[in-house]
Amino acid sequence: MPSHSRLGPRAEVLRGTLEMLALKLLNEEPAHGWGLSLRLREISRDVFDVNQGSLYPALQAMLRRGWIRAEWRASENNRRARYYSVTAEGQKQLDAEIAEWNRASAAVNRVLRHAYLGA
Amino acid sequence: MAWYHEVASSLGAVFRRRSQDRDLQEEVQFHLEMEAKRRVDSGMTPTQARATARRDFGGVERHKDDTRDERGAGGFFDAWSDVRFAVRSLAHRPGLTLAATLTLALGIGATSTVFSVVKHVLLTPLPYDRPEGVVAVWSAWKGFDRTWLSYDEWEGWKARVAAFSDIALYTDGAATIDGDSPQRVAAANVQANLFSVLGVRAERGRTFTPDEDRPGGPTVALLSHELWERRFGSDPAVIGQKIQVSGNSTLIVGVLPADFKLPIDYSSGRRTDLYAPMQLDATRAGAVPGPAFPRGGASHGFYSVARLAPGATAATANAQLRTLVAELEKFGYMANRSFHAFTIPIEEQITGPVRPVLLIVFGAVVLVLLIACANVAGLLLVRGEARRRELAVRVALGAGSTRLARLLITESGVLATLGAAAGVVFATVTVRLLRSHAPPGLPRVAETSIDWTVLAFALITAVLTALLTGILPLVHAEALAPSRELREGGRGSTSGRARLQWRQALVAVEIALAVVLVAGSGLMIRTVRNLLSIDPGFNADGVLTMSVSTPSNWYPDSIRVVAFWNDLQQRAAAIPGVKRVAAVRLLPLATEMGDWGLTVEGYTPPPNQGTPGDWQVVTPGYFETMGVNVRKGRPFSAGDDMSGPLAMIVNRAFVQEYLSGREPIGVRVRIGARDTTKKYTIVGVAEDVHHNSLTGSVKPMFYATLAQFAAAPGSTRRTMSLVVKTDGDPNALIGPVRAAVRSADSRLAVSEVKSMREIVDGAIGGQRFAMQTLSIFGLVALLLSAIGIFGIVSQVVASRFHEFGIRAALGATPRDLLAIGLQSGLRQAATGLAIGIVAALALTRALHSLVHGVSTTDPLTFVAVVSVTGVVAVLASLLPAARAARIDPNTALRVD
Repeated sequence: MPSHSRLGPRAEVLRGTLEMLALKLLNEEPAHGWGLSLRLREISRDVFDVNQGSLYPALQAMLRRGWIRAEWRASENNRRARYYSVTAEGQKQLDAEIAEWNRASAAVNRVLRHAYLGA
Repeated sequence: MAWYHEVASSLGAVFRRRSQDRDLQEEVQFHLEMEAKRRVDSGMTPTQARATARRDFGGVERHKDDTRDERGAGGFFDAWSDVRFAVRSLAHRPGLTLAATLTLALGIGATSTVFSVVKHVLLTPLPYDRPEGVVAVWSAWKGFDRTWLSYDEWEGWKARVAAFSDIALYTDGAATIDGDSPQRVAAANVQANLFSVLGVRAERGRTFTPDEDRPGGPTVALLSHELWERRFGSDPAVIGQKIQVSGNSTLIVGVLPADFKLPIDYSSGRRTDLYAPMQLDATRAGAVPGPAFPRGGASHGFYSVARLAPGATAATANAQLRTLVAELEKFGYMANRSFHAFTIPIEEQITGPVRPVLLIVFGAVVLVLLIACANVAGLLLVRGEARRRELAVRVALGAGSTRLARLLITESGVLATLGAAAGVVFATVTVRLLRSHAPPGLPRVAETSIDWTVLAFALITAVLTALLTGILPLVHAEALAPSRELREGGRGSTSGRARLQWRQALVAVEIALAVVLVAGSGLMIRTVRNLLSIDPGFNADGVLTMSVSTPSNWYPDSIRVVAFWNDLQQRAAAIPGVKRVAAVRLLPLATEMGDWGLTVEGYTPPPNQGTPGDWQVVTPGYFETMGVNVRKGRPFSAGDDMSGPLAMIVNRAFVQEYLSGREPIGVRVRIGARDTTKKYTIVGVAEDVHHNSLTGSVKPMFYATLAQFAAAPGSTRRTMSLVVKTDGDPNALIGPVRAAVRSADSRLAVSEVKSMREIVDGAIGGQRFAMQTLSIFGLVALLLSAIGIFGIVSQVVASRFHEFGIRAALGATPRDLLAIGLQSGLRQAATGLAIGIVAALALTRALHSLVHGVSTTDPLTFVAVVSVTGVVAVLASLLPAARAARIDPNTALRVD
C-alpha cells in the first residue's frame, strides 16, 4: 500500500500505537474525528499532537478492517459530524492489542530493569 | 480481520467514490473549523487560528490522499490512472494510434473470423446424443470407395455385428408441399429407429413409431424446425394435422429440433426438411429374407448409421465386419469385386474433409496476426524513440521501472483493446459475408456465428497481442538511463541504433511470414487452375439448371411425363436468349451416380463379375446443351421416342472396358440381366464426362432417352433437371425459365436453381476456399510487410539526413543516395525472403492433401513468390528512399 511506504518505520510503529489508542478512546465513548484528536492530545499531554491529519487515514484503515463503524450525527453544538464507534470485532482487536502491549511493555520493563541493575 | 469488510470497503471505494470524497471533505472541514474555533476561544485572532489549525493538521490533501488509499482498491485506481494516461498519450498521436488500431483490428478480426468457423465446424458437437457413439456404415467394392448398403447387408449387420447396438437406414429424395405456392423441399425416407440411433427426440410431437414404419403403414411425416417456421409460421396446431405432400394427404406427427440435420446433409450442403418413414417391405427390399445374403450381390441404395454398443469403438465394429465379409466372400456374395464394409465415426465423416482446409486457414490467419503484431511493435518502437526524453524525465522524477513497464504495457493494452473492439466489428461483418457466401462443399461453415466463445477468443488474442507488441518497447525502456538521455541531443545514440536493429529484425520476420503465406496461396492458385483446366467433358458456360418433379398423382404414366417435358422444353426454348434446352436425370458433379447391371452383346465379363454401367437418362438435345462431344455415331434426336427403336449412347470408358477393338455402333445392350427386357442398340459414343468428381477416374456410362427408358427397363424418371443453354448470363434466365415451368404446370415446384458453373465451382469448394482465403491473407501480409519496409527506410533516411547531406555536398549523385536508401530496405527484404523460403518449404507440406497437379515445393511457384515479394519490397523502399535522393545539402546541414 502506497501510504505505508511513504511513512518511515518509526512512523509505522507510532501509527500502530495511534490506532490502538484511538480504539481505546472510542471504546470508552463514540466520538467524531476532531473530538477524538482533542481527547488524544489532552490525555497524552500533547505527545500525539504531531499531525492531527494522520488520524484520518488510521480511522479509515480501521473502518476498512471492520473494527469501527461511522455514522453522521448532530454534534454537541448541533453541527453534522461523523461519529465513530467500536464494533464487536474492534472490541476483540482492542483486547488482543492491550494484552499484547502489556506483555511487550512488561518485557521491555524487565529488560530495562535488568540492564539498570546489571550496570 | 474478515475479508468481507475489505471487499465491501474496496467496492465502496470504487462505486461510491464521489459520496465518500464528499464525506471526507466535510469531515476535514469540520475538524479545521472546530480546531480554529477552539483557538479563537483561547484568545487567537480568527486569521491566526485558522492558519495554525491548518498547520497543525498537516498537509490536508496528503492526509486526504492517504485516507483514500486506506479505503482499498488502490491497484484499481492506479491501473485506471495508467489507462487514462495511455489514452491521453495515444490521443496525442492520432495517426499512429489509427494505424496501430487498424492493423490490430485486421489481425484480431481475421483471426476471430477464422476461429468462429473452426469452432462451429470442428469444435461444436454434432446435434446427436453422444455423437462419439455414432458411426456411418458404408459398403465398398471395385470402383466404389464408399457407397450405399443393400437391404441384405443391413439385415446381416443388424443381426450379427455385436459392436452395433442398433443400425438404421435412410435415403434422400425430394417432395413437394402442395398448395397455392407449391414448394419443393429436400426429403428423406428413414427407418423409425434412425432417431433413437442418433439419439434425437422430436422438439414437438413425436418421431415415428415402429407401426408407422411397416409396409402399408399410414402416410405420416416429420417437419424440420426451419420448414415448420417458414412454411407453417411455427404454428403448433400443424402437428396432428394433415397436409398435402406430393399429392398425398399426410399426417404431421412432429417437428425436429432446430439444429438437427441428417449426416448426409452436411456433405450435400442441403437441409432435409421433410421426413417420412421408409416402410420397407423385407420380402421385396431384400434379395433373400432374414439375415442371409444372396449369391452374386444385390442392389445397393441405402445410407446407414449405427449406434455403437457400450464399450465398442469404430475399430471393433470394423474388425467384426471384416470377419463377416471374409465369410461372405467364401459364400460367394459380391464375389471377385473386393467387396468390403466399414464404419467411420460420424464426426470424422462430417468434418473430416473440411478439417485440413480449416486448420491450414487457421494457421495462415495466425501468421497474419503475428505480422500485424510485428508491425505494431515496430510502430511503438519508433514512438519509443520519440518519447525517450519524456520517459527519461519520468524516471528522473521517480517513476520506478515497474511503474514505467506498467505504463508501456497499459499503452499496448489500450491499443490491443481498441484493435479487438474494431476486430470484433470486422469479424461480425466477415462472418455475415461467410454465411451468405458459404463455400459449397464445406459442411457447417454456413452455421458460423459470433458468440461469447468467439468474443472470449478475441479477448485472449488481444491480451497476447498486447504482450507481444508491448514487450520490445519495454525491453528498451528498461535500459533507459535518464542521465544519458537528458544530456544527449538524442541523435545517433547507440541505443537508437539497437532499436533500429530490432525494427529491422521485425521487418525481416514479417517478410518471412509473408513469404510463407504467399507461397501457400501460390500453390493453391495453381491447384485451382489445374482443377479448372481439367476438361470435365462438358461445357458449363452459360448453362442454367433447375430440378423439376412430376409426381405420379398428376402424371400417372410415362406418356404424360414425356409430354410434360416436351412441352416445358418448347416453352423454355421460346425464351429470348435461350439456345438449347434439355433435361437430365443427374447433373454431373452435383449428385453421385450409381450403376446398373448390363448385358452387352459379345462381351463376357470375368467370372462372378457383372457389366455395370452408370446410367444417365436425358432428353434429346442434352449433348448439344451441355456441350458433350459425340465422337462417333449420332446424338439423340426427336425420333428416339416411345415409338422409335431403342437407342443408346455410351461413353468412351464404356467402349474401352467392354467393346475394345470392336466397332461400338450397332452393338446391342440389354439393361438388366433378365431376358425379358428389350435390347438397346448403340448409336453413338460420347466423350467421357467427369460425373462423380473432377479428379476421379471415369467409369463406363450409358445414356438413354427419358421416353425409351420408361419402356425398357421400364423406369419413369420423375425428377429431372432442366438444363438451359444461353450465350449470355445464365442467371438472367432464372425468372423467365421459372415462369415457363409455371405456365407448363403451375402446381409444380422448382428447386436447386443453379448455374452449371456454380456446380463445377462447388466440386472444388475446399480448394477454392483455401485459395481465396490464403490469397487474401497473402495480400494482407504483403501489404503489412510493405508498410514495415516503408517505415524502416523512412526511419533510416530520416536518421541519416545529416549524413546524406554531407554525402550530397561531397558530390554524391541523387542516384547514389537513392541506392543507399534502397539498400537499407532491401537488406531486410533479402534476409526475410531467405528465412521465408526455408520456412515455406517446410510449412507448405501441410497443403499436401489439398494440392492437385503441383508439388508443395513447386519451383515455379517459389520463383514467383520471390519475385512478387521482391517487387513489393523495392516498391515500398522506393518512396522513402527517393526522399534521400532529393536531399538538398544546404538544408540538411543547416539542421540544428
